Amino acid sequence: MKVLISFDVDGCLENGDPPGPITLDMVRKAQAKGAIIGSCSDRAPSAQRTLWDRAGIVYDFVTPKYGLPEIMEKFPADKYIHTGDRNLDEQFAKAAGFDFYWENEGAEEPWLQYLDE
Amino acid sequence: MASTEWFQADRYRAKEGLGVWEHKGKAAIAGLGNSPTTRRWDGDLSTSLGAWTMLAAQRALDDAGITKDEIDGVISCPQGMGDEWGAERGYFPAPYDSEDGLSGVSAHWLVKNMGLENVKTTYHAPGCMSTALVAGAEVVGSGEAKTILVVRGTGNMPGRYHQTPGDTVGGPQQWTNPWGWQLIPQIAFGFDQYCRKYGSNHDRMAPFILNQRRNGSMFPEGFYYQNRPDDLNLTVDDYLASRWICKPMNMNDCDLPIQTAGAFLITTGERARQMKKKPVYILNHVQQRGVVRSSVETLAETEEFSTSIANKCFEGSGLTAAEVDVFNPYDGFTLFTQSFLEGFGWHGVKHGEAHDFYGDDIRVEGSHPFSSSGGNNGNGRTRWWGFYDSVQQLRGEAGDRQVQVKAETAIAGAFTPQVSDWLVLGTSPD
Repeated sequence: MKVLISFDVDGCLENGDPPGPITLDMVRKAQAKGAIIGSCSDRAPSAQRTLWDRAGIVYDFVTPKYGLPEIMEKFPADKYIHTGDRNLDEQFAKAAGFDFYWENEGAEEPWLQYLDE
Repeated sequence: MASTEWFQADRYRAKEGLGVWEHKGKAAIAGLGNSPTTRRWDGDLSTSLGAWTMLAAQRALDDAGITKDEIDGVISCPQGMGDEWGAERGYFPAPYDSEDGLSGVSAHWLVKNMGLENVKTTYHAPGCMSTALVAGAEVVGSGEAKTILVVRGTGNMPGRYHQTPGDTVGGPQQWTNPWGWQLIPQIAFGFDQYCRKYGSNHDRMAPFILNQRRNGSMFPEGFYYQNRPDDLNLTVDDYLASRWICKPMNMNDCDLPIQTAGAFLITTGERARQMKKKPVYILNHVQQRGVVRSSVETLAETEEFSTSIANKCFEGSGLTAAEVDVFNPYDGFTLFTQSFLEGFGWHGVKHGEAHDFYGDDIRVEGSHPFSSSGGNNGNGRTRWWGFYDSVQQLRGEAGDRQVQVKAETAIAGAFTPQVSDWLVLGTSPD
């Protein structure tokens, strides 16, 4: 199954400000299992790219929070997931047709169930 | 000292026609202090607003080279800018057993917990550090106190910022809140009116925003410098792609709420000359409280307010627009900053010309170093960076941010054209 995972940054990823519970190793693991990965945040796209580059992760996309519909259009997949720590993340995710997981749920790596299929 | 009175309303210089300030040059800023910064408070009492206000105050004392025994007055803006911690989360052992010290810091809290035993004068000033600073200028200028600390903590609690959960509203807001008319749409509307009148557009704000971030990258006390340097590399594409908050206001037009505390030490000009740092004299202080004729502030009213601020600043200090070297008006919503620039006519900018000016060389190295602090857009929301930078510029201590033009006078102020307080500063008391 092709899975796309969008990560909010601050309060969600471990390299966010504040740091979140989802580790970069979790991201690497999902990517190694074939997931399309990237970030969707109110942090500027240039800052998002820098964060990924510094982590040594080759990301597939970065986008502002409102950009999930465009990401869906650009990357065909069977499952679209966004994980974040704010109601706004949930709002944008659901409006774009993404499954939404809160950051603490994301730390349980719910996407593995689809990637292992 | 169990409580503190509000500074008397009739002591603010809020009207035009008052003439030169009778205490011009008698008070000076002799110490600056700022705590570290962070996005939100994490519940650790060592980084609470109270602890950080004490730290900022101590740093201001150290900057001036004096001890706390010399402090005989404290003026605080006692409310933070964020939300309350709230009893439901549970308070802490004293002195953190109430909101005082957590979501705001009163003058008497600071006096008690810092052991400022010689303080005889305390006041509170509402809303902004800027209001507390103008009160401080008057208190020292008039001789009511000799050496005072002016403090504020910002406050930003975990969770979302300034939600309004209630489903009822009273008072004047009953006419505006039900249809969402609050400060943000007002500012966005005002900017839209500006663009319509003068034939400009939101994209033309980009050079100003990027320059604010660039100045922030040279401000070690600032939030982004300390915590998110990547955000200071904002590009034009980033700015234009930023999420709309209330079109034509986007996220990067808004300053970021942060947790920090700041302190300014004001003393007499005579005493300041004996302290460690070069004195920065207060040449005038000004208050603006514009009255809007309806529930919507018109562009004409905004321009009228800014012009009045400038008139009062110039009249009370004796300076002219051409004599203002450093200019740090508030930028918490960047979309009203052009009103200050044009109202003051700084560097000859007239109504409708601000966006052309932004496209010129406004870098600190250039000939028009506008908002050399980087403001709150470049450093996070405090509303005091402009004052802080102005003092550093006049001391010649702004580091990489030091303007290359003459820096002998400065004007800084916050908050909006309608509601704001301002200081006129100089390296000479005359």
